[in-house]
Amino acid sequence: MPRTFLDIFGNPLLALGAGIGGVMTVLSLNTLFCIWFERKVSAWIQRRMGPMEVGFHGTLQTVADMIKLLGKQLITPRGVDKPLYHLAPLMVFAPVVAAASLLPFSKTVVLTNINIGLVLIFMFGGFAVIGIFMAGWGSNNKYALLGAMRSIAQNISYEIPLILSALPIVLLISAKGPMYEIEGEMIAINGMNLAHITAVQADTGVWFVLLQPVAMLIFFIAILAETNRAPFDIPEAESELVAGFHTEYSGMRFGLFFFAEYSNMLIGSMLATVLFFGGWDGPILPGPVWFFLKAYLLIFAMMWIRWTFPRLRFDQLMTFCWGALIPLSIVNLLVTAFLIKVL
Amino acid sequence: MSAPTLASTDLTNYLAVGLVIVMATGFAVANLVLTRLIGPRRTGDVKSMTYESGMNPVGTARKRFNVRFYEIAMVFLLFDVEIIFLYPWAMTFPNLSVGSEQATVWLGRIFFFLFTTIVAYLYGFRKGVFTFN
Repeated sequence: MPRTFLDIFGNPLLALGAGIGGVMTVLSLNTLFCIWFERKVSAWIQRRMGPMEVGFHGTLQTVADMIKLLGKQLITPRGVDKPLYHLAPLMVFAPVVAAASLLPFSKTVVLTNINIGLVLIFMFGGFAVIGIFMAGWGSNNKYALLGAMRSIAQNISYEIPLILSALPIVLLISAKGPMYEIEGEMIAINGMNLAHITAVQADTGVWFVLLQPVAMLIFFIAILAETNRAPFDIPEAESELVAGFHTEYSGMRFGLFFFAEYSNMLIGSMLATVLFFGGWDGPILPGPVWFFLKAYLLIFAMMWIRWTFPRLRFDQLMTFCWGALIPLSIVNLLVTAFLIKVL
Repeated sequence: MSAPTLASTDLTNYLAVGLVIVMATGFAVANLVLTRLIGPRRTGDVKSMTYESGMNPVGTARKRFNVRFYEIAMVFLLFDVEIIFLYPWAMTFPNLSVGSEQATVWLGRIFFFLFTTIVAYLYGFRKGVFTFN
């Protein structure tokens, strides 16, 4: 059964240090890998070579970019709202790392095993909206403000189908009864505990994507929008808004926004893996390998979509969310609730 | 009854999340300090100008923006509050015995609760909150 780091290392401080270090390492490596991977995937789709110069097939390109970014000047423009402008990158960055620490990577590799993990992740996702508004308003730049307004409208709109499509999973888990036996151990099952959600899927062998295909689709689309990925990348539509809310951020401040963006992609994919694809569940290979394999398959799908579909218009984006996704997710939820009661 | 390995209401778990936030902030600040130390520090009148595609900025960004963003935010609040109440319901509802009178009542209640939100949603739809033009 899922155990926290505390049980493995014994010493709480040691366990905590190892866990936090592990999460930071995973996120850093993910950012380095994903940027290279994205460039390679886009090159492959467009029949180009992509980065080839630094390292084997350009694998060290991102490392070089990072070092270059460190050597850049931090320009603070005139007329910025100083506290907001300086706090915004931290406000976007820190919750992302906290959200990553809530996920169960495998049966034994769980940094925090919290009963309200699912809601807590959505909460940390909501923090990003505040950070984006701080950046957009604090910059005192028209592009940044417009980008931030669009970004917030999009993020809060797509948060509703995102959370609503996770609700059927909570229902399904809670329906397993107050007590549930996993590997000979009786546990008080909790529908919002991410480790329990995965454990039930692993135990029954039925991934929730089979029971909730509609919810999975809605969830995936909402994740695309939440992470500002194409075809929903209107906040940073570079041809009209320069860089959106982080127009005035240079050097490492921009780097932090970038880090948060790619970490958000990973967290979204990992959450989808936990909720719909059975998390660490899989034959032969150890748990973490399966977990990251599934997560990166989803990330690949996100990149594939980005380099295949054109960008939506802003009104289409909003109408699609409020007119299609939200009603569909509510109907899906009610049908699930009804079926659970009848069956 | 519950096994000690799953004592997840343990407050140390929340402490861990808090520490992660502190560590992440530290990491970010360290990065910013490092780039301050390494990077150049040139200043100038034009260099610290607000970016407006290379033109001299016209006025400030402290202007009025479209009221539709407020409308979206208000409808969002409506749904957000609803979702907060749906989670506890989703936790307890499936535990009620199937086909019992209690289960029917609870399902009816949540239908009514959603119905009030749907009415507000339809009102917003009629008022054109979701149609940008």
